[in-house]
Amino acid sequence: MAEQGDQTFRVKVGPAENPVTLEVHPAAGDLTPWDNESRLRNVKGRHPRLEAPLKVTGHAKYTYDIRLPGMLWAKMVRAPIPAGKIVRIDVAKAERLPGVKAVWRTDAKLVRFAGQGIAAVAAVSQEIAEDAARLVEVEYEATPFVTDLEEAMALTAPLVYGEGQAPAPPNTPRRGNVTGPFGPPTVGGARGGSRGDIEKGFAEADTVHEATYRVRVHTHAVLETHGIVAHWEGDRLTVYTSTQGVFMVRAALAEAFGLPRNKVRVIMEHMGGGFGSKLSASAAGSAFAILACRLAQMTGAPVKLMLDRHEEQLCTGNAPGALMTVRLGAKADGRLTAIHYRAYTEGGIGQSARTGAPAGSMYPQCPNVRLDEYDVFTNAGPTSALRAPGHPQGAFGFECAMDELAYRLGMDPLELRRKNDTHPFRKVYYDVGAKAIGWERRNATPGAALGPKKRGIGMANGNWYVMVREPVAAEVRVHRDGSVELFHGAQDIGTGIRTVLAVIAAEELGLKPADISVHVGDTRFPPGPTSGGSITTNSSGPAARLAAHVARMRIAALAAPLLNAKSEELTFADGKIFVAAEPGRSVSFREAAQKMPGEVIACLADRKRQFETVRQDLAATQFAEVEVDVETGVIRVLKMVGVNNCGTPINLLTAENQMIGAQIQGASWALFEHRTLDRNVGTMVNPNLEAYKILGPADMFEAIPIFTEGANAGNNTSATGMAEPVFVPTLAAIANAVYNATGVRLRQLPMTPDRVLASLAEASPGASR
Amino acid sequence: MPKRRPKNSGNSLNVSRRAFLKTMGVGAAATGLSVPAPRPAEAAILGPDAVPVALRVNGVAHTLTLEPRVTLLRALRNHLDLTGAKEVCERGACGGCTVLLDGEPICACMMLAVDAVGHEITTVEGLGTPERMSAVQAAFVECDAMQCGFCTPGFVVASTALLNKYPNPSLDEVKAGLAGNLCRWGTYPRIFEAVQKAAGRRG
Repeated sequence: MAEQGDQTFRVKVGPAENPVTLEVHPAAGDLTPWDNESRLRNVKGRHPRLEAPLKVTGHAKYTYDIRLPGMLWAKMVRAPIPAGKIVRIDVAKAERLPGVKAVWRTDAKLVRFAGQGIAAVAAVSQEIAEDAARLVEVEYEATPFVTDLEEAMALTAPLVYGEGQAPAPPNTPRRGNVTGPFGPPTVGGARGGSRGDIEKGFAEADTVHEATYRVRVHTHAVLETHGIVAHWEGDRLTVYTSTQGVFMVRAALAEAFGLPRNKVRVIMEHMGGGFGSKLSASAAGSAFAILACRLAQMTGAPVKLMLDRHEEQLCTGNAPGALMTVRLGAKADGRLTAIHYRAYTEGGIGQSARTGAPAGSMYPQCPNVRLDEYDVFTNAGPTSALRAPGHPQGAFGFECAMDELAYRLGMDPLELRRKNDTHPFRKVYYDVGAKAIGWERRNATPGAALGPKKRGIGMANGNWYVMVREPVAAEVRVHRDGSVELFHGAQDIGTGIRTVLAVIAAEELGLKPADISVHVGDTRFPPGPTSGGSITTNSSGPAARLAAHVARMRIAALAAPLLNAKSEELTFADGKIFVAAEPGRSVSFREAAQKMPGEVIACLADRKRQFETVRQDLAATQFAEVEVDVETGVIRVLKMVGVNNCGTPINLLTAENQMIGAQIQGASWALFEHRTLDRNVGTMVNPNLEAYKILGPADMFEAIPIFTEGANAGNNTSATGMAEPVFVPTLAAIANAVYNATGVRLRQLPMTPDRVLASLAEASPGASR
Repeated sequence: MPKRRPKNSGNSLNVSRRAFLKTMGVGAAATGLSVPAPRPAEAAILGPDAVPVALRVNGVAHTLTLEPRVTLLRALRNHLDLTGAKEVCERGACGGCTVLLDGEPICACMMLAVDAVGHEITTVEGLGTPERMSAVQAAFVECDAMQCGFCTPGFVVASTALLNKYPNPSLDEVKAGLAGNLCRWGTYPRIFEAVQKAAGRRG
């Protein structure tokens, strides 16, 4: 919304193939946004991440690597049963073990999932802590449980929550373990939702497709488990923790311990993966961080509590499974007339992410849409955010259904998308991606290829949103020797935000990214966003640019007298400051800095308000080529082409890496990953990394990341997020390629060899292949 | 000394993880190729109390006092502050703790520290420093062969061992040689690129 003092700029933005001139109104003091015509020296380049030398030599210190003098090791005890009453917890033996310094036990009376925290110990070594945890005796009275989504939906199923206890929005209808339907999703802007009249839409349709799709629960399987090192000095608490939000953790710990925030410091230098599971102070299914701080308080010593792999797979969150029924109506020419999306999501004891947004908002011109979404509780670890929560699942159901509709209509699946899509960026992706994958090579008749190894090509769309955290700030310090530091309280979760901020500051100051020392991940720095929702680059970057710009103005004022020029006549590039009209007249950045009156110039800048964008919804498209061995059921992904736009890709090298990673994580979900619960005993069968299989080097395919040109405006860098949208279409793209290869539709993930063989057998019973 | 079967050694290079899994049917099997050897019958019984353990790590001799049950990985991390190798899966499935034992890659989580006595141990810290990186480390930096970097030390060590044995690996050989290591961010293509770039430089 326009406010008094806003500026007006006209910028050239949108897809480079079809740009538009957009009038934007940044707040007073903001900078002219970079657009399609900006000529930039560092931005859009390929910059190795600044901390990479530390990471490749083992010198980067993760939370897991922190060792403080006198530090104790903590270990938790977890419920081995999925449901029951806690009758007795006896910690006497654990307390008596030499080396044990403190023991905590829960006051909870009920167990709701196998993995719930029951007790914790702190001891002088990791091994003694593990021994002590084994000595804690717990007596349970087991009660009936349900771990299976379909079984939990039955009215006769054991109730995971009693009356009034289930986590759900107020006034949500509930029937047994099922809550919902929920209202349309609104967070994050244009998420679409129910509209029009689907009965009318289906009546108008020439063709209707309906099918049910199933995605299983996936765990984050982050390599660095959740963990914390807590250290009290008097009433001051310092913690090192593997988190996606240091300020969020500080707020939670300050509240838990009744401390003012200025007594709590949170540090996160490097993190071994989060993907959404590290968006709370502790974890979705375990208050381990609070416990570690309490044990440190009890013992007066620093305490380190890292979950082990088994715990990590049980209680730190997961992506909900989903049972989705999609009904689509279309005219003979492919125009959608109605979408009915019904989903039951499986978030264990937690509230699931909504999965309906892809169906609700991908093709907004479809006039009749209805989303019915329900949560189903089971006695399993609670879900948490995972890389575009709900969207990969929803896009799997919806975009597989679109593919099926295309074949039913006798249309090219890409043509069906073109017919219904209005997104200006995605229209470009179709051409670029089709060319890169060789779309014309796909099978005109799915499954018609000869021989046991059948190849096929498919594609799918995904969406996400422009989300930002506006109240953040950055500080740039220029020292007398011309060296530069940047301080900002975001954290590097692996995406390379240090380097992104250095690139942006270097652009303003006419330096190289490596000239800027960037400090992140500490609540002593100016506030940064919690890194979730693909918001970090477009929240933090504009603040960094502004802080660097303020520093530039101050250095320009020092340089101007040296060049007999006015500040505003000066340009910064290649480590020099020169008169724009007369590049021969120059002074080095360092010489100018040496004229400062003190030792350091410190420039703090707040991020300004977000302004107009080309699009508020982000689009991504993936193409996949697979080979299916119809004799063994083994699917190999051969190639993936991802096409995406992130406005201004600040650092192409790291942005491409994220897109490749999204393809790989998607292929891993599609082919291998499945949290398996034993329905008879209610425990996880594969709480490890050998049976919870993630894609490895030997499974690798050719991964092609493509960023299309075109700024999106919205902030002074014109960047948007990208890590999540590129993940969303991947599952469906692979499944659609499998159909193109075999002519047999797999509507259930993961597409393991047994499922492939069963589907093939079902499609042609009695046939010998 | 007991005979050990190191990771990625000998003809194991010819067996990809996928091919191995195929023989297992559905995708659920160990990824690590390291199998602890049976303990010889005449081995002395140590512990449970701490005993002196002499380890040679990155060319430096250390004498630690460790309970015999302490793994090599925990000895390195908790007693020598060499935290490059990571404990990720705790059972030889992910390669995050890969170190070299007499030049052969092993999972340090799968070996007791007392069993490493008499061997030359090299960790990622021993391959180079941020100021003087090895060819493999420098190539990982240039190719951005990492994101969060938690698996990176394991991949750097495994890649170094691979190139020591196969100086000019094909892409398929790189994939097979690194098949015991996992990355959750999905940086494999960049890692393959880095290994081949380093191979070219090491000549």
